[in-house]
Amino acid sequence: MTAAQGAPADEGDVIAREGGPVADDGYLRRVMAEIDEEVRARRHEIPVQLERELDEMFLEHAPVAVRGGDLSDALGMVDQAAVIDPVVPVASRRPGGSAIKKGLRTLNLWYIGWVAHQVSTLGLAVSRALHSVEAQLRELDERALPLGATRVVEPGSAASWWASLAVDRLRGTSGRVLHTACGDGWLVGLLETAGVDAYGVDPRPGVVDAAELRGADLRHEEPLVHLRAVGRAGLGGAVLSGVVEAMEPARRDEMVRTLLERLGEHGVLVVHSLSPAAWLAEDAPVDADLAPGRPLRPRTWAHLLSPMAVETVEGPGGADYVVVATR
Amino acid sequence: MRVAFVTPRYGRQVVGGAESAARQLAEHLVESTGWHAEVFTSTALDHLTWRDELPPGDHHVDGVLVHRFPARATRAREFYELDGLLRRAPALATRRDAERWVDLNGPVTPDLVDALCASGCDVAVFYPYLYYPTVRAIGRVPMASVLHPAAHDEPALYLPVYTDTFGQADALVFQTMAERELVQRRYPVAGRPQLLLGLGTDPPTPRRRPGAEVLGTDARPYVVSVGRVDEHKGSKMLAAYFAEYKRRRPGPLSLALVGPVAYRPPEHPDIVVTGALSEEDKYDVMRDALAFVSPSGLEAFSLAVTEAWTLELPVVVNARCGATREHCERSGGGLWFGSYRQFEGVLDRLVADAALRRELGARGRRYVDRHFRWPVLIGRYARFLESVAARGKPLRDAGAA
Repeated sequence: MTAAQGAPADEGDVIAREGGPVADDGYLRRVMAEIDEEVRARRHEIPVQLERELDEMFLEHAPVAVRGGDLSDALGMVDQAAVIDPVVPVASRRPGGSAIKKGLRTLNLWYIGWVAHQVSTLGLAVSRALHSVEAQLRELDERALPLGATRVVEPGSAASWWASLAVDRLRGTSGRVLHTACGDGWLVGLLETAGVDAYGVDPRPGVVDAAELRGADLRHEEPLVHLRAVGRAGLGGAVLSGVVEAMEPARRDEMVRTLLERLGEHGVLVVHSLSPAAWLAEDAPVDADLAPGRPLRPRTWAHLLSPMAVETVEGPGGADYVVVATR
Repeated sequence: MRVAFVTPRYGRQVVGGAESAARQLAEHLVESTGWHAEVFTSTALDHLTWRDELPPGDHHVDGVLVHRFPARATRAREFYELDGLLRRAPALATRRDAERWVDLNGPVTPDLVDALCASGCDVAVFYPYLYYPTVRAIGRVPMASVLHPAAHDEPALYLPVYTDTFGQADALVFQTMAERELVQRRYPVAGRPQLLLGLGTDPPTPRRRPGAEVLGTDARPYVVSVGRVDEHKGSKMLAAYFAEYKRRRPGPLSLALVGPVAYRPPEHPDIVVTGALSEEDKYDVMRDALAFVSPSGLEAFSLAVTEAWTLELPVVVNARCGATREHCERSGGGLWFGSYRQFEGVLDRLVADAALRRELGARGRRYVDRHFRWPVLIGRYARFLESVAARGKPLRDAGAA
């Protein structure tokens, strides 16, 4: 049975993919995989030279660096072009032209063939080197895969005890305030009601879609990728909730460093985190076992965020806390 | 609310994607909100020459007040020489050369910039990032500015002169996530208010006659590609691929290329080039097609793809095109090809599998209904413009602009 004959998905069935939600239950990928399998089976059906010409035509007006570009595809082109054919075509529309061309080709073949051989050798060596680079990149990519999307753990809701605290500390901030992970925009909404110019990003696919369609400035983006694309001192404030607990240390350090560069003068940073004790409790989120990171203690945040003025507010029962840092 | 649209060309005669997108937004905004929209543009129709073809002055076009300004010069040969030089390493171009490139690219309309600044509008919308009016006005206007970059991954995007253009925009509107990713990789604008909007799609015109009748062929199955028939739009590649496909798969299937012809492919018994058609004829041809093909690798949005989905037509796109591939992946309504062999495989499958065609078409239709119907889209856009106008110019107030 082909994918097309399988049961289709509901519209709302959304899975993750870099760059955005995919309205896909795997259906489209299965269809493309079936087609690609069929295509691979036919790989010797088309003469090499003809296929090379057709594929060069494709590349002629194709952007190189955008999504969908694949190093393997590009290397396939390099492989095809690496071997120089010294036996030039001799067809001609003029009478006798073909015989003349054939004669010239025979006379020059020893010379052209020698040069072509060296160029082909170079081409193949370059191709081998690039394949080696590709293999190493692929390996790195595979290793980096677990570090892909940021894990979001208990990012809060409008009913959270710290929501009003965050709004209070950010009220009157000069400049835009970023909330990550923003979910459906619950905190962005509260901040806007308080007169704060707020927006949000969330790394979880599909989470912001409905609110974004209603007009909220919420985006499906990786927090660190987003922060890197914010101008220096471009933020008046930021709220991190649900993103710091499970984050691997190197990425957390990079995010804090980038965030501090992006906060403007008098900028305010609000960090909500589960406490280390809550992380070790029996009823802790499963991420406590699965994630590469763990929550920091408030005093560690104070150390990381120095020389900003840091205030710590502990939540009810000591399960979580908020750190407010002011520049 | 008074909204100024700034675009290098404007009018029903203008075929360009960004310019017609600006026109549609302005017209629908006026129609849906009752707001006052004004357009600041040149008197040119041709973006390669900027020749004066329309009368200067104020005109009303479909409910929108249009101010047209003549360009000071037509595009000179010098532009192409400099362009050839800079496109090899655009990010390394000197600021001076890049400024000169913008002036030579045109349309040089300083009067437009002055009039815009004095217009008293509440917000200025610039569409696209590339041309003189946007580059020269966006940092000067007293009102809040909204930039629709309509950016492709093209050499010009990397010229240093555009650092200011993007840096001075108070807010940005993107057509696709791919465009946002592209722009944010180059310019630090992520903290600005943004809207992921896309383009609105009108309902199709009612069926009038069979597509084959419009094409002048007998009732044979066909796939269709709609848009400018142009080498840069992938038409040459599509014609060559289809000719090879037919050499290897003889049969009744044909290809219809519908749109103004900038490149005429070699004569082929199975390829029909219609030239520009009326909307009714275009939809009649699309409606009866087996599938829609978008061969271009450089689309910023592709209205033609969303129009095809309103007819529940399955779509095939260029795998390297960020915008159309994103549409396919988000909607589940289309397949893609990145080589001739993949093109052949995709076409084989679509031709043979009616259930797949129906499923892809239905998914595409749901995607368009959710995101790109005019009433929904204009509502979001109007709220966004209001919020940007209310924010004013915080960058300038902070001394950053």
